Amino acid sequence: MQTLRIALAQLAPQLGLLDANFTRHHELLAEARAAGAGLVVFPELSLTGYHLQDLAAEVAMTVDDPRVLALAAETAGCSVVVSFVEESADHRLFIAAALLEDGGVRHVHRKLYLPTYGLFDERRFFAAGDALRAVPSRLGFDVGLAICEDFWHLHVPALLALDGAQVIINVASSPGRDVAAVSAGGLGTAASWRTLLRTYAQLTTSVVVFCNRVGVDESVSFWGGSMVLGPTGDVIVEGPLYDEALVVADVPLADIRRERVGLPLLRDERPELLARELGRIVAERAGLAEDGTGLPAVDG
Amino acid sequence: MSLDPSPMFELPDELAIDTGIARRVTTAFIRAQLDQAGFDRAVVGLSGGIDSALVAFLVAEAIGPERLLCVLMPYRSSSPASREDAEQVVRRLGCPSELVEITPIVDGYFGHDGMPGAGGQPALEASPLRRGNAMARTRMLVLYDRSAAWHGLVVGTGNKTEMLIGYTTLFGDSACAFNPIGDLYKSQVRQLAALVGVPEAIIRKAPSADLWPGQTDEAEAGFSYPQLDRLLYWMVDKRRSDEELVAMGFEPALVDRVGRMVATSEFKRQVPPIAKLGPRTPGVDYLYPRRRPGSARR
Repeated sequence: MQTLRIALAQLAPQLGLLDANFTRHHELLAEARAAGAGLVVFPELSLTGYHLQDLAAEVAMTVDDPRVLALAAETAGCSVVVSFVEESADHRLFIAAALLEDGGVRHVHRKLYLPTYGLFDERRFFAAGDALRAVPSRLGFDVGLAICEDFWHLHVPALLALDGAQVIINVASSPGRDVAAVSAGGLGTAASWRTLLRTYAQLTTSVVVFCNRVGVDESVSFWGGSMVLGPTGDVIVEGPLYDEALVVADVPLADIRRERVGLPLLRDERPELLARELGRIVAERAGLAEDGTGLPAVDG
Repeated sequence: MSLDPSPMFELPDELAIDTGIARRVTTAFIRAQLDQAGFDRAVVGLSGGIDSALVAFLVAEAIGPERLLCVLMPYRSSSPASREDAEQVVRRLGCPSELVEITPIVDGYFGHDGMPGAGGQPALEASPLRRGNAMARTRMLVLYDRSAAWHGLVVGTGNKTEMLIGYTTLFGDSACAFNPIGDLYKSQVRQLAALVGVPEAIIRKAPSADLWPGQTDEAEAGFSYPQLDRLLYWMVDKRRSDEELVAMGFEPALVDRVGRMVATSEFKRQVPPIAKLGPRTPGVDYLYPRRRPGSARR
């Protein structure tokens, strides 16, 4: 039976220090490949660090940056996800995750949802992506990429699965908070992520890969806890909290087929229903159609 | 082991934290802050109270006691018991320490025994509040001087409760390079202190600013820390309105009073505003992480 070995590089990027971070990526990639990994995943903004503020423009790279291409050149026979600030030709800055395969850049996902509330201020510094695609991979199936907050929107994993993804990858820089004794594992953030990752794996009957960074930027500490979950929602591997680690999981790919045959949720999906109802909601919100939602009930 | 079987402190359920995680986060935070600033030593002012004792224990755990300088800075009215408690922390940790009596500095300004100091005749009549603030700022002066001499960063010891109600002196006890316990309520400070080995007598005793004999925070404020911590938790962290807080059973007068304390002390929690004139203004639209490339960090 075919098994995919996945390595999660749960590292602490150095804020704004591209050279040091590239060096670390080359090292960890070599280590993961030596361990037999076919898919290596780095966390959100792994090449730049997270809390960039005005540094974002100073560390931004285009997709064809020689340093990115040099990293891609080391991916012969391997799939690698890295993340950085991507500058478009018209000088918008995106939080991007790139799928590097067989020596080149296969796909770039631009973060769709930029949290700008609470302790987050991403929309101030970044542009939001506009596209969500599952992409064919050298692994023999489609993969879907998402970045951190993208997973706090239900339809992101749903659309990726509908589009054909069998492995859905989320790269994150999730700050730990709510150190309450009542939370499972003692950390509210970790408890929330575990719940939603398990739910997504089960409902999309897909392998879900979550790579979260560790380390400290200013006030916040990133909690790690990277995970790989099987298509039944079972946790295959879970990385340590707060410590750097190369977390390795062996995923039996036949589990995806077995689960999708036994629990054909994706077969039974109704994308045309979704499209029709979404079309109606969009029209109502734009004032192009009468909106019955939220109007007070009128008696008699 | 303790001979006193009673609980060391009262802990409201909703304030219980996972102390193992809090310990890991705060010690890693201390190491990261020092690394990023290019320092490997720290300075803590020890009062004999639980907050500074906890910070000293956490710093010693994070970087080793030999890299921590504890500074004891009593004023002539400070309680000898406080000094003994601070000395016990130093003995337990085995860290370097210094004793700096601040009496001549403070009295040199306010005067004493009817003899005017640098502040002149009117300063002789200064209120306890002014004197307390001056003591806190004198300690800040000493700590920052030791910071330069010892090549260590000053670690803050203010807790979330006192920061929220403004029970701090601006540029005094609140002055620091970073603060590992500023997001812990007093009740949570006690939990973490018990875990990391702060002496039980320090955890059990009534918190005090130690500005005059017998002073305690709770007698001065008129409410208990568990009560205040619970109220602040629901008011600030859980965003409950005054009406909801009263419906939960908090006394309306307490809700009103604490709400006003939080609102009136907002200025103590923020960097002073700069008049916006130029194209880019620090803190407004010139925003960099403090440890950016090119800074002193390692």
